[in-house]
Amino acid sequence: MRTLRYTVFYICLTLIAVVFAGPYVLAFFGALKPPADLYSSSPWTLPHSFYTGNFRTILFSDGFIRYLGNTALVTAVLTVGQVSFGVLAAYAFARLEFPGRDALFSVYLATLMVPNIVTIVPLYTMMRQFHLTNTYWAIFLPYVLGTPYTIFLMRQYFMSLPSEVFAAARVDGASEWRILTRLVIPMGRPIIITATLIAFVFGWNNFLWPLIVTDSNSRQVLTVSIAALQSSFSEQWNLVLAASLVALIPLLVVFALFQKQIVRSIQLSGVNR
Amino acid sequence: MTRIAGPREARADEAGRARGLREGGPARRAERRPGWRRRIRSLAAATPFILPSLAGVLLFLVVPVIIVLVLSFFQWNFLTPPHFVGFANFGTMTRDYHVFHALETTAFYVLWNIPIQTLMALGLAVLLNRKLPALGLFRALYVLPYMSTPVAMAVVWSWMFNGQSGLVNHLLLLAGIHGPDWLGSTSTALPVVAMVSNWQYAGYNMLFFLAGMQTIPPSLYEAASIDGAGPVKRFFRITLPLLNPTLLFVLVTDVIGSFQIFDTVYVMTQGGPGTATNVINYQIYSTGFRNFDVGSASAMSLLLFGVILVVTLAQFRFFRSRTTYEVS
Repeated sequence: MRTLRYTVFYICLTLIAVVFAGPYVLAFFGALKPPADLYSSSPWTLPHSFYTGNFRTILFSDGFIRYLGNTALVTAVLTVGQVSFGVLAAYAFARLEFPGRDALFSVYLATLMVPNIVTIVPLYTMMRQFHLTNTYWAIFLPYVLGTPYTIFLMRQYFMSLPSEVFAAARVDGASEWRILTRLVIPMGRPIIITATLIAFVFGWNNFLWPLIVTDSNSRQVLTVSIAALQSSFSEQWNLVLAASLVALIPLLVVFALFQKQIVRSIQLSGVNR
Repeated sequence: MTRIAGPREARADEAGRARGLREGGPARRAERRPGWRRRIRSLAAATPFILPSLAGVLLFLVVPVIIVLVLSFFQWNFLTPPHFVGFANFGTMTRDYHVFHALETTAFYVLWNIPIQTLMALGLAVLLNRKLPALGLFRALYVLPYMSTPVAMAVVWSWMFNGQSGLVNHLLLLAGIHGPDWLGSTSTALPVVAMVSNWQYAGYNMLFFLAGMQTIPPSLYEAASIDGAGPVKRFFRITLPLLNPTLLFVLVTDVIGSFQIFDTVYVMTQGGPGTATNVINYQIYSTGFRNFDVGSASAMSLLLFGVILVVTLAQFRFFRSRTTYEVS
């Protein structure tokens, strides 16, 4: 009776897992089938052989590699900037005392409520004004100096660190900079990893802003080019699926490598509110 | 590095003594020194830490909000000089059928998205909130969709819901049913788009519920079992009420996100068929960046801002009015 119940339980879990992981598997099946097979066979059947033609067609199609590179570059700059400047601000809000600190922090918090779209129109006009449209700068500039959400998350965590350690370091004459690099960063590793992941996923997936602020091919990013492929190759599913997988695979790799930290970090961001 | 190693208490003690010594003499005078000097020094010390992010918040969040307020009073197409029109943009907006239809579509989208997604997340959390082998693996698999690019996943789902070659209709055909053209029909397009979000975020939200459930003391469940409460009763009388704070957090953040749906709509339906999936964000995008009506787009984005604020406040009100239990 007991074993039967466990069996049913695990079968249920597996069926649910199929729903969540299935689209990825099917996308791989579809992208690895030659065009003729995609329509003659059922979508859930395994590809006969490892047909890499779709990936090759996509990767060598005009500019795709470049878009991939653009996304990688912009995401890297955005992540490094957002996390570094965010750590600085979070440390100051959590551990330094200066006039106007709490008032300033509430301004940061208030901006959390502003929907993304509200800032899109004015940001675009600003970028036009400064002749920055169609540049890498325009894509990452609004997000590279730190975002209130990750600053908030890191501040909460830094505040929970034991204050005696900081007091002792100050007494030893350590500068704020030294305290930050030698104490806060090592001790705040979990939340810094969280912030890094949030920034990376945001940068990699960002769509609306790059769509608006770039209109030439040379600065297009991956997400925008996938959306464009979808409308131009509308019925060549094998190609569009291959293109989508190029965007998805790096995230799958990151997830496989950091699965434990990701799960923990999401929970950290919920509990630390 | 500065040596912080060694017994910390002893260090702190030493420090205290050292400070005492110093304070004996010249420090007295320092106390009488005007406070603003110290304040300026502390401000100077904090400035390099704060400055980059402050520049970011001011330039890319605060200033844009001011600009959007100003723009909403102008008629402008990015090229010719802006033209002041007073409240006209808001006036046309209240008369514009498209805006209200878009808001209505967004509301329907949120209703297709949030309740199902939250129930899925709760259900998954209940399933996984136990100590059995391999549950970590399943938990990871359920969270996996959260780490996907919405644009790319929208392509994959468009393929699966494709009328002719899609998986869904293939499966339905096995059961002898001829499935509809899901994304090409006004009655099914919006629910399908919402379903993609449900798929993407159910596992992510499950993590918050799991974390919340793990803070509930097991003694409560034991006591309830002794009193003869079955699993269903225990869930509704213990788990759910104690999850109120988590539920509020999940609902508030999800509803804010749901009102701003864009990527999947852009890829899967382009707002169509007809205007069946023309959500407010898509309407703002096409008004501002396809019709170049900057003033109206600004006014609409302020309207969305207002709607989100009201809905968020309403949720806080609703949850505050419900009994919350303190468990220590």
